[in-house]
Amino acid sequence: MNILFLIQTFWAAVRAIPVTVLITSASVLIGLPLGFLLAWIKIRKIRILYPLAVVYTSLMRATPMVLLILLFYSTLPSFLNVIMNQKLHWHIKVFDTNPVIYAIIVFSLIAIANLSEVFRSAILTIDPGQKEAALMVGLSPIQAYYRIIIPQALVSAIPNIGNLTLNILKGTSLAFMMTVQEVTAVAKTAASYTYNYTEAYIDIFIIYFILGTLLQIIFRYLERYLSRHKLRVKAV
Amino acid sequence: MPPFSFKFFLSVFGQVLPYLPVTLLIIILSIIFSSLLGVIIARGQLGSSKVWRTVSQGYVFVLRSTPPIVLLFLVFYGLPKLLLLSLNININDWQKSIFVIIALSLLFASNLAEVFKSAYLSVNTGQREAALMVGLSEWQAFYRITLPQAIVVALPNFANTVAALIKDAALAYVIGLLDMMGAGDNLISRNFGHHSLETYLALAIIYWILFVIIEQSAKYLEKYLGKGHTIASKSAEVVA
Repeated sequence: MNILFLIQTFWAAVRAIPVTVLITSASVLIGLPLGFLLAWIKIRKIRILYPLAVVYTSLMRATPMVLLILLFYSTLPSFLNVIMNQKLHWHIKVFDTNPVIYAIIVFSLIAIANLSEVFRSAILTIDPGQKEAALMVGLSPIQAYYRIIIPQALVSAIPNIGNLTLNILKGTSLAFMMTVQEVTAVAKTAASYTYNYTEAYIDIFIIYFILGTLLQIIFRYLERYLSRHKLRVKAV
Repeated sequence: MPPFSFKFFLSVFGQVLPYLPVTLLIIILSIIFSSLLGVIIARGQLGSSKVWRTVSQGYVFVLRSTPPIVLLFLVFYGLPKLLLLSLNININDWQKSIFVIIALSLLFASNLAEVFKSAYLSVNTGQREAALMVGLSEWQAFYRITLPQAIVVALPNFANTVAALIKDAALAYVIGLLDMMGAGDNLISRNFGHHSLETYLALAIIYWILFVIIEQSAKYLEKYLGKGHTIASKSAEVVA
């Protein structure tokens, strides 16, 4: 065991944490509104879009993350190149794009599918009487959603959103396959010079443990914050 | 990028499917070992011994935020070193599949422990007390009364965990195991990086079929096992 290497690589990998956090948070933030839209399509069974939404969700949830990353990373740049430069003649240098962008795209696509299922089950747990009552007192359907249904659904969705965020965070450890310089990639590269792979992976393990623990604390606070009205009712 | 070749896409199935047994074997053995370990951890969490409770809760907490690939590499590189240094046992010549099974079992034992624990707790304690009252032994009460009810509750989450395990088993190829993913990867290398779209798409479809089989058989089993039960098997959605 090379303790010096362990400590040096740890600090090198710590400096790559912002990339990991950026990919995770950007993917989840993009996934939240689009996932909600997809959930809405599935609940209202919008014509034509509904079967597409179901197939998309199933495919995304069934396919291993590695496979999705490899699939998109090997085809998306060429595909964009054909569309943007050969069809539209925009002359954008697709192949020079920062791989972080591709990572965010792939993880967003995964987040959208999983979040749509989270939102769907959360909205379905709300008693339809809530919506009817909201419409009865004169709220518009959008107001009923925005003021009555979403605040309640969010409370039951938060633990699952937390789980998903944790899974995306863990999934970013695969982003090194897209040449993204995040925690895993930095530690792996450092290890490849001296072949200290065990030490490098212990470093990555510790960093992910810290990040995962912080994430769980944040979501526990969020859950408590969003369910504060519920607790007040219980106290009465 | 060469144009999409449907003929090549079909030929991928023929080249990759022979390795399906390797993938399935790893999945099945990992499920068995992680279930056994999961039961031990769940028992530790519910038991009265404070030491065991702390250890098992700590295990679940730590493994929850461990990425599968990190654990896989830690087991693959670290375990032989650890055993060589501490016990002077050389396992460097073990097959790669063994390391994959160890890593997956360690990882999913923590998930399954949570599934088992919540299922056990969902069965009303009055059931056990009533069983003890009518003269069943502690073991009989568990085996005949609590367990059959807990299984129905655990099934949807168990199926979700298995689906997640199948997906993470696809990572095994990064340490050089020749499973379906490994065969697909070799296929792309043999074609000098071409036809990756067809290969990955074919693999995605195979994994999709596996997923649907697990999903549907869990639904069927749930209906079958839930027959005659009056308790509501409310399943928490687990995001895979």
